[in-house]
Formats: sequence, structure tokens, C-alpha cells
Amino acid sequence: MIDGTVQVLPLAIVVGLLALFIISGLRHRARKQWEYGLSGVYTGRIGIGAAIASNWMSAASFLGLAGMFYLKGYYAMAFVVGWTGGYVLLLVLMATQIRRFGKFSASDFVGFRYESDTARTLAAFILIIITIIYSVAQFRGIALLVSWLFGIAYFQAVIVGALLLVSFVVVSGALGVTQNQKLQYFVLIFTFILPLMLLTRKLGYFWILPQFGYGAAIGDLHKLGFAWSEPFVNTTLFQWLALCFTLMFGTAGLPHVLSRFYAVPGIRDARWGVVWGLFFIALIYWSAPAYGVLARLFEVRNSIPFNVGDGQAADMVVLSAASLAGLPVWVIGLLAAGGISAAFSASAALLLSGAASFSYDIYPHLIRPDATESDKLFAAKGFFLILAAIVTLLALKPWGMIAEIAAFAFALAGNTIFPAFLLGIWWSRANSAGVISGMLTGVVITFTPLLIGDALPLLSRLLPVTSSAFIGAPLVMIVMVVVSRLTAPPSEDMRRFLARNVHGCTEN
Amino acid sequence: MRSDTRVIKLILAGWLIAIVGIQIFVYLLMANYSALLLDELTFFNLPIHFWLTGQFLPLWFIILCVLFNFWMDRNAAKAGSLDGSLRFRVKSASREED
Repeated sequence: MIDGTVQVLPLAIVVGLLALFIISGLRHRARKQWEYGLSGVYTGRIGIGAAIASNWMSAASFLGLAGMFYLKGYYAMAFVVGWTGGYVLLLVLMATQIRRFGKFSASDFVGFRYESDTARTLAAFILIIITIIYSVAQFRGIALLVSWLFGIAYFQAVIVGALLLVSFVVVSGALGVTQNQKLQYFVLIFTFILPLMLLTRKLGYFWILPQFGYGAAIGDLHKLGFAWSEPFVNTTLFQWLALCFTLMFGTAGLPHVLSRFYAVPGIRDARWGVVWGLFFIALIYWSAPAYGVLARLFEVRNSIPFNVGDGQAADMVVLSAASLAGLPVWVIGLLAAGGISAAFSASAALLLSGAASFSYDIYPHLIRPDATESDKLFAAKGFFLILAAIVTLLALKPWGMIAEIAAFAFALAGNTIFPAFLLGIWWSRANSAGVISGMLTGVVITFTPLLIGDALPLLSRLLPVTSSAFIGAPLVMIVMVVVSRLTAPPSEDMRRFLARNVHGCTEN
Repeated sequence: MRSDTRVIKLILAGWLIAIVGIQIFVYLLMANYSALLLDELTFFNLPIHFWLTGQFLPLWFIILCVLFNFWMDRNAAKAGSLDGSLRFRVKSASREED
């Protein structure tokens, strides 16, 4: 889609949308310096739900998922189930309990629960690695859109996109803008669903609810000889379940997802906020497959050859479907604006969360023990820029599609943070030695298939790069249990705190 | 606490059985019959496997979450537990340490 021309109207829509977010955010200025990167505006349960959904919506949801459907058909359903089913785990096993700890970040939680600065620092390092990997997926999405908007090559687009993102965050920070996440979510859902309705209408399918209307397109594709929606043809049931459960475990272990529950005003609000958030997220995932299906149908009808190895084209399928259908350029602009906003919002939240992890959990503990609040704030800003630079470099040559890179970040979260939180909340015997061994095992399990998977095919089959937490997370929990059993139990104070404050019962 | 745990187990069982059960059902349909049959079985306009996995499962997760919340609300009201009464602002770690 690179033709050297600047897409003026779509670019204007993108700029207008980002300006709208800044102006609306100016009404909710950050209240305290120490809230840098962790503040938010909460207005009731629907507001919390919208904040959860807006926080969640990223390039992976907006662009990557449709791309996976376009390329892999039914296999991509594992993303839909994984990215929604994880919220059930989060709600019933963690949301309420995390809030009862009253801590400020994931590493703060680990440090407090396991009474260990080493565990806290290790968690902070892992959170930063998760942030980097997940942000690479976002930067790839931003770069693809910037490449189309400005008509430039991917390599240049990564750098331009990164500069735009950093400028956006710096301007927002300088003006004291706080994200108005409710507005952001409703704008994103509008920019995603409206073009889909128009697209479905153009093809003559049931357009009022395109989430159902695209079913007829699958039938038409079959009549034309494309049976790509068949389940378990190119992938096994194990691969499907492994990806699905990895994404679910990862959802319950991602720092920017967990962070939603530290700052909500009440426990009951947190619980109902998850339900609304899940509903808002499901609205996107009920719709995303339609883009992949319709893009395939347009290509078949126009005799455009299908290139199974073209990940970039697949990641841009949301835009190319609208373009192939001949929809007005403002509609494509809306999609581009929605995609950029989702990727900007997710990247900014992740990078700020990573910077906060550094400035609160690593900087004062390992680098400067006497750091003041303003020192920490300065460190957070500096580390934000360093993180952005690292992510930019990695995004220049990404190793997979947007959804695949995101899934790798989920695998790391599922193999490390998820077991640490789960056992930390539900098993009072889990101790610092257990969690440190467990998290280190999780890191090894996540990265081994990536680094030496080619040499060990069996390992790659059991622990696929994007799906390692299906087997990895239970293994990590076993390591945690064994090591905890073999070492000294947590303090009596902590066990009493868990019994009384977290699980709301007296000791028996 | 014990009743909380029982409800959590039930919710998780409903969650796990639905996910794995539907995939095994789809797999068996595919293995024992054919993809053609799978696409002829439609529900709400969608092939049955697309509807069950892509539409029903997210809806089922929402239903599970709603059931869990209703139960927790009712239980909290009965027991007058932390859930209904605890509302507080988060403080930063450094402030707490101070």
C-alpha cells in the first residue's frame, strides 16, 4: 500500500482524533507528581469498564486480530477466546484480592507479599521485558499505519511513528493531560464498527449486526473453493488450546491489565468494572473476524493472489478490506485513526508503566537509595525515553505479526507474573525463594523455544514460542510449590494478613 | 471463605469445560464427519464452530462473571464482609514507607 503519497484526509482525521483526546484529557489534569504513569479517571462501573477496555485495546486488537483471521482462519479464534477468557481468571482469582492488598504496582505487590526486595526487583525487570516485547507489537502497528499515511517505507515509518508517539506523550505530560479513557473507548469502538457496517452493506450482507452478517461471507468463500475456515486443518487441537490458555494466563499477568485494579475506588466497583470491561472488549472481538473474512472475499472476487507469507499485508487487512471495497477515504481514515489511537494509547500506557517500574522498584533500590520523589519522577521520564528507543530498534526488524509478538509477551507474563500472583494470593505457604525460582524458571521456559527451539523440535512442539504458558505456567507453579516447601515459610504476619485482610476470615 | 471458594471452583469449572468441551466437540465433528457438514450447520448465520467459539464463548464468560458478581454481592451483604464496606484510596509505596 506504499505509493509515495501522503493520505491527507486520513492524516487530518488522525491528528484531529489525537487532538480531541488531548483536549478532553486537559480537563482531568494529573493531581500528584507521584501518579506519573499510573493515574486514571474513574467514573462509576461503566467508566472503570471503559477504562479497562480502552487500556486493553491495542494494535493487536484493532489490526492484528483481523490479520490473524485473514491468514489463519479458525486458529485465530484462540486469540478471541484467550483474550476474553483471561478476564474470568482475573475476576474470580485476582481482581478483588489484589485490591485488598492496597499496593501500587505488580512489583510492589510481589515485594510486599513475598517480603523480598529481590523478588520485587526481579518482578520489575520481568515487567519491563514484557513492556518492551508488547510495545514492539504496538510499534509495528504504528509503523504500518504511518507507512500508509505518509507513503514511506516501513523502516522510516518505525522512526517517524516512534517520534510521533514520544512527542504525543511528552506534549500530553507537559500539559498535564490525563487519559479520558471512557471517551477513548467509545471513539475506538465507533471507528472500528462503523466502517465494518459500511463494508458489510457494500457486499450485500446483513449489515446492521455485521458480527453475524459476515457468516454468509464464509459460506460464499466456500462456494468459491476457499475452505480456510475449517478448524484444525493446519494446526492441531493442542496448538489451539496451548495458544488459548497462554493468552488467558498472560491476560491475568499483564502489568497494565493488573494495574487497573490497584487504583479503583472500591472492591465491588472493581468486580463490576471487569464485567463491563469484558463486554466492551467482546464487542471488538465479535467484530474483528469479519474484517479478515471480508478481505479474503474481496481478494477472491477481484482475483488478487493470496500470499500466505505476507505478514505485513495481513496486519493491514483492516485497511485493505475497506480500500478494496471502495469505501470513501474518510472511512479508511477513521480506521487508521482508530488503529493509531489504540496503538498510541497502549504503547504510552505500557512504556509509562515500565518507566514507573524502573523508577519506583529498581532505581531507589539498586541505583540510588536516597532518591527523592522528584528524582524518581526524573528517572521515570528518562527511562521512558530509553524504553522507547529500545522498542524502536527492535521494531525495525520484528520477528512476527502484531498478534504473534503480543502473544509472546503474554507467554512471558503467563509464565512469570501469573503464577507469582496466583500462588501469592491463594497459597499462604508460597515464599520468596519459591517465587524467585518460579519466575526465573518462567523466563527460561519463555525464551528457550525462541533461542534454541530450532535445534530441539520436540521442545518447540511442547512449548511453542507464542504458546508456552499452557505447559509453562503449571511447571512454574510446581517449581514454586517444591521450593517453597523446602525452604522457610513466610512470616506469621504475612500469613495472618492473607487470612484476615485478603480472604476476609479469621485464623482457624 | 469456604463458600467463596466453592463458587470460584464452580465458575472455573464452567469456564474450563466450555472452552475445552467446545473445542473437542468441534474437533470430533471435523474428524468424524467433514468440514462441509461443519459449514452447513449454521447458527445466527455463522458456521457452528465460528459461532460457538467466537460468539458464544465470550458471551459465556460475561455470563459467568455476572453470576460470580451477583453471588459475591449477595454474600457480602449477608456477611457484612470487607467487600461491601472497604473503600479506600491507594497510596504510593514511598508514601506508605514514609
